[in-house]
Amino acid sequence: MVRIKECRRQLGPGVRFRCQDFWAAAGTQTALWGPSGCGKTTMLNLITGLLRPDEGVIEVDGIEIQNLSEGKRDRFRGERFGFVFQTFNLLAPFTALQNVLLGMRFSDTVAESEWKAHATHLLERVGLKHRLHSKPATMSVGERQRVAIARALANNQKVVVADEPTGSLDPKTSEAVMDLLLELCDEEKVTLLLVTHEREIADRLEQRFDCSGLIEEAAP
Amino acid sequence: MNLWHIAWNYLWNRKLTTSLTIVSVALGVALIYAVLTLYDETKKRFTEEGQAYDMVVGGKDGSPLQLVLSAVYFMDKPTGNIHYADYEWLRNHEDVAEAYPVMLGDTYRGFRIVGTVPEFFDQTWISSAARGTMRKPFKVGRGRCFERSMEAVLGSLVAEQTGRKVGDTFVGTHGFIEGLGHKHHEFPYTVVGILEPSSSPMDRVVFCDLTSVWEIHADHDHAEDEASKTEHHGNEENGHGGDNHIAESNQDETSDHEGEQDEDEDLEVTAVLVRLKMPGARFGFKDEANTELNAMTAIPAQEVAKLYRQFLAPLQTVLLAVGFLVVVISGLSIMIGLYLSIIQRKRDMAIMRALGASAYEILGSVLIEAFWVTLLGIGAGYLIGCGVSECIGLALTKRYGLTIGVVAVNVKELTAFSAIALVGIVAGIVPAWQAYRTDVARDLAEL
Repeated sequence: MVRIKECRRQLGPGVRFRCQDFWAAAGTQTALWGPSGCGKTTMLNLITGLLRPDEGVIEVDGIEIQNLSEGKRDRFRGERFGFVFQTFNLLAPFTALQNVLLGMRFSDTVAESEWKAHATHLLERVGLKHRLHSKPATMSVGERQRVAIARALANNQKVVVADEPTGSLDPKTSEAVMDLLLELCDEEKVTLLLVTHEREIADRLEQRFDCSGLIEEAAP
Repeated sequence: MNLWHIAWNYLWNRKLTTSLTIVSVALGVALIYAVLTLYDETKKRFTEEGQAYDMVVGGKDGSPLQLVLSAVYFMDKPTGNIHYADYEWLRNHEDVAEAYPVMLGDTYRGFRIVGTVPEFFDQTWISSAARGTMRKPFKVGRGRCFERSMEAVLGSLVAEQTGRKVGDTFVGTHGFIEGLGHKHHEFPYTVVGILEPSSSPMDRVVFCDLTSVWEIHADHDHAEDEASKTEHHGNEENGHGGDNHIAESNQDETSDHEGEQDEDEDLEVTAVLVRLKMPGARFGFKDEANTELNAMTAIPAQEVAKLYRQFLAPLQTVLLAVGFLVVVISGLSIMIGLYLSIIQRKRDMAIMRALGASAYEILGSVLIEAFWVTLLGIGAGYLIGCGVSECIGLALTKRYGLTIGVVAVNVKELTAFSAIALVGIVAGIVPAWQAYRTDVARDLAEL
């Protein structure tokens, strides 16, 4: 489903990302685990097409994305990937419902006539039926992250990438958000790639990929 | 949820900045709209009256423009009087289709009293509203036309502003400055008719028969002559001062000193409005009239064109330049506002890219924001411009009887609006390009 093979990307003078081999089967939940600065986020950016490798192959859902044009990668990303960020990254001028609708705006996966019903259903599913028309600034951090999870699933995505999704949450909220994320990905048979530096969280997923050593720095 | 909606939400999210930018665009648009509208509309009105007569013949104490303004538009001081015989010469000339005498000298509550002939109301003019068609500007709405001396027909604005009705009486004031001249109490006018609105300066005029003015001023002149024998014309700066009314015209003074003359030769008119059988012959006729008559001739269309070309067109250019300068400055404020907003929203742009938006969609959404601001600015500016033009229009109606239409948008204004819209969109290009070049991975990583 998601595969990286002999991939390299120059990140700066003497700093290089290198991943020899990575594989995540469809519907699996994988933790990309390792200390800060080890290359976890760079790996996610390469998988989602936000960065392009200098060498190697990145295959998602049977398509080698490194050769796609920027426009096609944008579209591909919108259709295949859902994002959950550490800082939620909801758009402030929009309500919870509009943020989820925005997730559907840039792909053709869901018919436009069904956008609203689908977005409403997703927000109900994450327990925010009463917050459909609330703006992010008026919501708690836990609620914001739940909106982000709903948005990540808006296009019936095949892969959800979560970059430190509990990094800004207190332990109790963190636990609840993780439960929800894992439960939804399991229900929807979505492949989950979750970046974390916390071993406890990584242990909750069915497989772990140790990202240590992905960044190579040349000796000065 | 489309790009227009997204752009609108971002604008709404920074209401104050957006409103201020819209206001600045609106002020430029309003100025441009008001200048274009007022210039075109007043020109249209002036042209209609200007085209109504091929020539004006009047006294020589002033410029041809002054003659046209005083005799056709009733705006300026008259240029003195001419002999009634000159009017007869014009009326009987084989090239002349119509000749209407006008006699000025008095006012009623600031409105000019114009002596003329009943045929004056039978005229038809080329309409400025529907090009090529003819319209009858004078229709007696209530009552009838004057038939004898001391009967008056009021222009619609006069009736409205003075509250006079058919059957009422009033007295005129000597001269053109309200409150300074003496009232002709011994010669009251009776209102016999009120004209329908004609959207012309005639709405501000009290019409009466020529004989009324002659009668009043024959008596007035006699009284003045008596007074002048003792005062040696020492009172010229009173209500009569500076007014080219009958008693003070050069011709009249000459005739006074020549002693006894035939009564008809003493009769005068202020000007004669002439329509020729062949309007193309007006230049030849003008030369002939200048030779045969001791009078000044002026072609209204020519004088109006000169007025606009020499005085009002440069003024219009300056005001339009100021308007466009305001728009350009507004364009800059759109650009700066959007640019700063894009810098603050880099992360939002990156999120949208992560959600699948293409770089072109991001560019488009920023351009749409610029377009929204410009569009709203144009809309608001149009409304403000209409309001300002309406106010100025009301003042022009009150003062000069010129009624102007301010709501219709013509090709010139549409062109100006399009140019302004273009300025707004061009102003959006720099911030849009900045947004287009979003480095998604970097901007998502930055906290």
